Amino acid sequence: MEKEAKTISLNFDSQVFSLIAIKKAAYRYIDSFSADISIENNEVRCLLNFTSPKSDESCARLADDFKKEVLDQDLREKLKAETEPVRNLILAHAFSKTGIVSNEPVSGD
Amino acid sequence: MSQFQAIEFYKTSKSSYRLLPFRFIPLDEERYVLTNMAGEYLVSVRDKLSDLLQHKLSNDDPTYIELRARHFLIDEDSSIAPELLSIKLRTRYDRLAEFTGLHIFVVTLRCEHSCPYCQVSRQSEDKLRYDMSPEIAIGAIDLALRSPSRNIKIEFQGGEPLLNFELIKFIVLEAKKKNQQRGKNLAFVIATNLALVSQEILKFCREHSILISTSLDGPKDLHNTNRPRPGGNSYEKTIEGIKLVREMLGRDQVSALMTTTEASLNRVKEIIDEYLAQDFNGIFLRPLSPYGFAIKTKSYRAYNAERWLDFYKEGIEYIIELNRQNINFMEYYAATVLKKMLTSEDPGYVDLMSPSGIGIGAVVYNYDGSVYASDESRMLAEMGEEKFKLGKVLENSYEQIFTSPNLLDPLEESFAYSVPMCNDCAFEPYCGADPVFHYALYKDYVGRKPESEFCSRNMETFRFLIKKMEGDRFVRQLFTKWANN
Repeated sequence: MEKEAKTISLNFDSQVFSLIAIKKAAYRYIDSFSADISIENNEVRCLLNFTSPKSDESCARLADDFKKEVLDQDLREKLKAETEPVRNLILAHAFSKTGIVSNEPVSGD
Repeated sequence: MSQFQAIEFYKTSKSSYRLLPFRFIPLDEERYVLTNMAGEYLVSVRDKLSDLLQHKLSNDDPTYIELRARHFLIDEDSSIAPELLSIKLRTRYDRLAEFTGLHIFVVTLRCEHSCPYCQVSRQSEDKLRYDMSPEIAIGAIDLALRSPSRNIKIEFQGGEPLLNFELIKFIVLEAKKKNQQRGKNLAFVIATNLALVSQEILKFCREHSILISTSLDGPKDLHNTNRPRPGGNSYEKTIEGIKLVREMLGRDQVSALMTTTEASLNRVKEIIDEYLAQDFNGIFLRPLSPYGFAIKTKSYRAYNAERWLDFYKEGIEYIIELNRQNINFMEYYAATVLKKMLTSEDPGYVDLMSPSGIGIGAVVYNYDGSVYASDESRMLAEMGEEKFKLGKVLENSYEQIFTSPNLLDPLEESFAYSVPMCNDCAFEPYCGADPVFHYALYKDYVGRKPESEFCSRNMETFRFLIKKMEGDRFVRQLFTKWANN
């Protein structure tokens, strides 16, 4: 007899969390559950589908971990946006004198 | 009334710092690891991290001082930080411009051992079929010397390369002759089980400063079970060989590598003791690779990443205890990772490079003239998968080989800066892309990282090493010594 797949539904306020942060968090848990993500009104709805047999307790723990991961991912997005100009500056400076980037046109075109 | 302003007057306001780019990942239930662009790390509790990101961290907080010193934030007293980060970042990627330094010549596939997990060996007397020809060798030398790298290391592999020692001699002499005008730093290594080593062979090695790399899997019974040969005396031959090499070439001219089979898993202390007994300064605890006969004979699947990590951690704990007793001994994989964590240098270890080290760090000239992007790539080819074959020595030019789509595609696709989950992983500066491993297991250069054994094994290794350092001052000092070795 086939075991019924367990699901947990979570809602995130789209004014608070970005969709990309939620998608990234879902990817990180791809080995534990698949996620159906949809937007309804001002909420991002995530239906977590646990495919391999798991206890209710471990499903709830994973859902909690997922919520923390969404928070982490959201902070990462914020940090990335805030530091983008200086990140580009550092990268440009790091490779400015290496001779790796050539302004010469490619011959033989 | 005081003549002076209160201390608060002189403090920088809480929001006057700017964040520099960094990434973070949980270390355990309470703590996070933060890494900056140059790979410097810091451990912090979640509340501090959250305060930092919200610009609420006070400049007299000890964490603030550490974050500023390690270039995670910038304020009016640290305006030079972006420039310092750039220099460190450039140092980290310095090897890229050098291009291929390691050139592996597979001089024969023939071997007198029949190790069940070996990827590439043949029990055959058919020299014509499995030996590299002098014509292919000359072509491969020309390709190797075309590399822009100032330091060229030629490593002889097999099968058992000493079965074709005449060709090794030919390659060494020819490479030296051809290098006279180029003036590169040439180095040679023979990777051998030492069963066939002789004084005559070592005399040549001494004349040409050739290093020896051998295999030692542990105590006699374990080594001989792992490495069957006629007479069942692989261990005895290896130990005799090591002694002879040391007598004729010098103590530090021979190194050894071990392979972890299922039979090794409960014996890590005995394995380390064997290395100590043979007077080695360290050991490289490495798992089996998912290629060739290791897959066919199910050796690879005999244990998973979790079991290997238990073995590895037990080994590290034991080595730390040995060092506490003033016995100097090192674990080389940890030392490689620690160099990335604690210095700005990149050790150039192919498996832990991004962009991947295939082709860029190492290249393989197989006995039949096929050129592969790495040693693992030719092992994969032995399983019938030629996804990483770059061309043929006698048929393709240097340009055709090193711009082959079989090299450029996996390099581009697996670059960790652009891979889901790796791009915001705090461990990315320490980790690698390894498209060959992922292709072998998942038929994809990248794989899904949450399901990747490479990812889970390395993430846990990084966490383990950081926790050890954070919890014990002695370990911190020891690991710093390993990193700077």
